Amino acid sequence: MIPSGEATIGPFFPRRYVDAGANDLTQLEGRKAKGEGIEIAGIVRQEDGTPLDNLVLEIWQADAQGIFGHPADPRFAQADAAFLGWGRAATSAQGEYRFRTIRPGAPEGRARHVNFMLMFSGLMRILKTTMYFPGEPANERDPVLAAVPAARRALLVAREEGPGKYRFDLRLRGEHETPFFDD
Amino acid sequence: MSYVIAPRDERTQPVRVIPGYPQTPWRNPKQPLVKRAPTLSELTGPSNVSRRVQLLGGDVAGHGETQAIGQLLHLRVRVVDEDGAPVGGTVVEMWQANAAGRYIHPNDDDHAPVDEHFYGAARLVTDDTGSFLLRTVKPGAYPVPTKDGWWRPPHVHFSIFGRVWLSRLVTQMYFPGEPLNAQDRILNAVPDAAARERLVAKLVPPTGDPYNALVYEHQIVVRGRQATPAQP
Repeated sequence: MIPSGEATIGPFFPRRYVDAGANDLTQLEGRKAKGEGIEIAGIVRQEDGTPLDNLVLEIWQADAQGIFGHPADPRFAQADAAFLGWGRAATSAQGEYRFRTIRPGAPEGRARHVNFMLMFSGLMRILKTTMYFPGEPANERDPVLAAVPAARRALLVAREEGPGKYRFDLRLRGEHETPFFDD
Repeated sequence: MSYVIAPRDERTQPVRVIPGYPQTPWRNPKQPLVKRAPTLSELTGPSNVSRRVQLLGGDVAGHGETQAIGQLLHLRVRVVDEDGAPVGGTVVEMWQANAAGRYIHPNDDDHAPVDEHFYGAARLVTDDTGSFLLRTVKPGAYPVPTKDGWWRPPHVHFSIFGRVWLSRLVTQMYFPGEPLNAQDRILNAVPDAAARERLVAKLVPPTGDPYNALVYEHQIVVRGRQATPAQP
């Protein structure tokens, strides 16, 4: 069967769908996830540099041991049951988003990373990208980062602004345009 | 259980920059999208999103004194993968305008009236057959503020997680026989006519059950299929 056609999320994605706490992956149903808590924040801008208000972001990542909370991961049985690995945020009027999460472990064959999805009015398809951590030797060997033209790879590496505080700005189009993946 | 995501036929998916849809040229990448071979990271995904977000059920039409104004509908929707296998246990989010074409959202300051009994947002989990039932009212058409005569036809938005990260889908469902379908810039951004037709629900001929609602059926196909088991 042929996958259904995508469409934009439009301007009216209900506010209540960005549930309070949906951007905090460090706890689940009152239990604390294992590992080091970190913060990832940034601003999302369009071509002319305008920050985008009410853009929806979702992330997906491995737990502190590098295990994905999904049965396809061979180590699923050892996954942290208090870590869902998924979160959702929406940008503010200033274009800013924020996640609290756990520093992911490096999955087999990959550098530690966080998958991002962006959904917004005017985006007919979900935009997908991947965030990396600075100063990780494994970044050099990561097959997904290696697929990105060398001159653009640095755009996928977050900036460390303080202990456990990362900044990952996204530009949908134009100068310093974030690399997005065609899956 | 391993799952395979293959590239899609581009003609079955919308173009990204649409003439007459003013936001699209500002927001879609100019650089070529990067092709990657999916790894475990993209071929896994959140399997229990309802532990993080609140389910709202599938009845948004209200009852009795608090029933929404409009044509009462039952939407029978089924989510399957590319094998046609039901995708059970996945979270679905639906949102739509009220019968007058108004969304309950701070960004909708359109002329159309609010119906205090209609918020228009359902969030639920598909059953073992990949199915869910929505009880709602028919959404109204509404003008897009481009001031050049673009109206959105009646439509229902869906956000679906599917089994893995790359099966995540945001789509819209349309109604058959709507004259505005033919000129809608979003529906017609999908080049392939058959692919557009699959975004249109089917009216089930009324049988008297339910006696007071029109029934539509719709199928949504998310990406992915089971890997063929290796032969010994």
